[in-house]
Amino acid sequence: MPAAVPTSSPGPSTVRRRVGWTAAAVVALLAAVLLSLAVGARPVAPGHVLHALFHDGTDADTAVVRTMRVPRTLVGLMVGAALAMAGTVLQGITRNPIADPGVLGISQGAAVGVVLAIAVAGVHTLTGYVWFAFAGAAAAGVAVYAVATRGRGGASPVKLALAGAAVHALLVSVVNGVLTTRASALDEFRFWQVGSLAGRDGAIAAQIWPFLLAGTVLVLAVARGLDALALGEDVARGLGSNVGAVRIVGGLGAVVLTGAGVAAAGPIAFLGLAVPHLARALVGTSHRWVLPTAALLGPVILLGADVAGRVVFAEGEVPAGVMTALIGVPFLVAMVRRKAVAA
Amino acid sequence: MSATSPTAAPGKPAARAHAGARPVGYALVRAGRASFLVHRRGAAAAVGLTVLLAAACLTYLCVGTSLTPPGEALKVLFGLPSAEELTVGTFRLPRMTVGLLAGAAFGVAGALVQTLARNPLASPDVIGVSQGASAATVGAMTFGVTSYAVMPYVSVAGGLLAALLGWAFAWRGGLKAARFVLIGIGFAVALRSVTQLFLTKGDYLVAQQAKVWMTGSLNGRGWAEAVPLAWVLLALLPGVCWAARAQRTVATDDDTATALGVRLGRVRLGLALLGVVLASVATGAAGPVDFVALLAPQIARRLTRTAQIPLLCSALTGALVVVVADLLGRKLFEPTELPVGVLTAAVGAPYLIWLIMRGRTGGTA
Repeated sequence: MPAAVPTSSPGPSTVRRRVGWTAAAVVALLAAVLLSLAVGARPVAPGHVLHALFHDGTDADTAVVRTMRVPRTLVGLMVGAALAMAGTVLQGITRNPIADPGVLGISQGAAVGVVLAIAVAGVHTLTGYVWFAFAGAAAAGVAVYAVATRGRGGASPVKLALAGAAVHALLVSVVNGVLTTRASALDEFRFWQVGSLAGRDGAIAAQIWPFLLAGTVLVLAVARGLDALALGEDVARGLGSNVGAVRIVGGLGAVVLTGAGVAAAGPIAFLGLAVPHLARALVGTSHRWVLPTAALLGPVILLGADVAGRVVFAEGEVPAGVMTALIGVPFLVAMVRRKAVAA
Repeated sequence: MSATSPTAAPGKPAARAHAGARPVGYALVRAGRASFLVHRRGAAAAVGLTVLLAAACLTYLCVGTSLTPPGEALKVLFGLPSAEELTVGTFRLPRMTVGLLAGAAFGVAGALVQTLARNPLASPDVIGVSQGASAATVGAMTFGVTSYAVMPYVSVAGGLLAALLGWAFAWRGGLKAARFVLIGIGFAVALRSVTQLFLTKGDYLVAQQAKVWMTGSLNGRGWAEAVPLAWVLLALLPGVCWAARAQRTVATDDDTATALGVRLGRVRLGLALLGVVLASVATGAAGPVDFVALLAPQIARRLTRTAQIPLLCSALTGALVVVVADLLGRKLFEPTELPVGVLTAAVGAPYLIWLIMRGRTGGTA
């Protein structure tokens, strides 16, 4: 029997708590998936949903579930996980609690990539323009971080948010300029830009999973490095962590995840901001736990927002991106009001 | 007594005002019995800006898909019969009027809010006021409100609500500029997506129209927008004159102001209200022409080299920026038109980035 437990490994109660919350998150995810499959303009009873999933059938319920709700739910699962993990990593590598792909302008960078691909390069398939999305996301991310680190005080939360807002505004004007001069692209773009899961088909899910997998591998690879970085750059270096490599690999992962998520569902705001905080509150600060928990909770929130959007207005749908923005703002306000964001 | 020269007694207040205590850079202007101190550089800047603005306006009226001789444009302007009545009088003049007035309003609004927050970033289009006005206006449009007489009230209500909410959430035993700006940015993001929501809700044609409006376009603006805007601004003019004086007291610290008998809290509230209303009215008429409220006061301050942000020069600069941007937007990519907001953002966003890089974000304020 060991005389002392090493201080770095969590005690049995912590492990129990983490496993418990992870199990709860899995249950919540299953519930969200079931809701997403069942709720809508044509409600389907949960029993029928399961029946439709596992048995062939010709009735209308089966058709609705199989052809429309399953692909939409799959895309929601993937995008939710991608943006939540991207947010977690961004908060880790910037050591900044309000980092989020949307707030930092990275999503908008990916959006500009997609718009240019559609309007200028004439690319209309997702596997084609996802590369443009990556390029745009990477360029925007690098630009925002470069701007924010200059000047007094380094990349403080205020400066990052402001740099994000400025780059975002610039990119929006690029998008608007392109769309006004190329009217044909506007209609293809109008609904996509809001950030929505409506009308996403199975082909999209089939096309983005390799990118999500690659992004996930990248961010999981730097989980330990992020834990070290949380202690401060100098301490991380002292512990033998290669801070530069962690930031580059983590940033690359965040860019791939954001680019794929945005290419699939449009820029969905605040998901990457709120979910990591929730995950940290549940399982503690270790990134090896926070990242998987965020990947479970992100889809819960996105699918929840999507389902809520379907039922709020009887005559139409509220896009998921709008719902997440409305849910996300209180989070931002709470974060700013707490001392967590030292301005 | 009445014949003695004012220079006679050095101890007299009148004499001091004329000689010793006149601040550097000011000139004394007499008009009969009244006399004013005029900031020399400020006056020169105002005159210069006015000349530039007049030139820009004349060019605006003359240049379009067809070219109009300046003489004809002037004829239309002064109500004389002219062959160019349709192009200049019906299309270009009202559109230009909207741009002029909205630009001036954005400029003054930005100057007031930036003075209050002592922060160049706290401009109404960064902290959610313009986005609130936008959301309210697009919402009203998509839900069938078509009367232009109502629009200014709708947009002011939206802007005020956004400002009030931002202020309420940022207030925590005091208002920190950094907290206010951060929360404002969050509100701006959320309000933008609410606007997007309205765009997808409405009828396709209305959505198309609202989408163009959203990018801050003056395309298709006419007297229907210009006239209500002019009335509202005229009604606000006494307020702006009051603000030009009151602004100076705000710059003093709380103790000095109290000693002088100024109720600083009320003055600040009044200035903030005026700024929010001006920004919202301008947004309601011209759409969210981003960055004019941010840029114009800063340009004006550099031109006049005053410590205070000058209101008149901010208004002139704002008007000049919008008129020139719209002129360029009409001509640069002919036959398609770029919305004026695209051009102002293309200039304004890099400027904002430069401000941040210089570290003048006032994050410590």
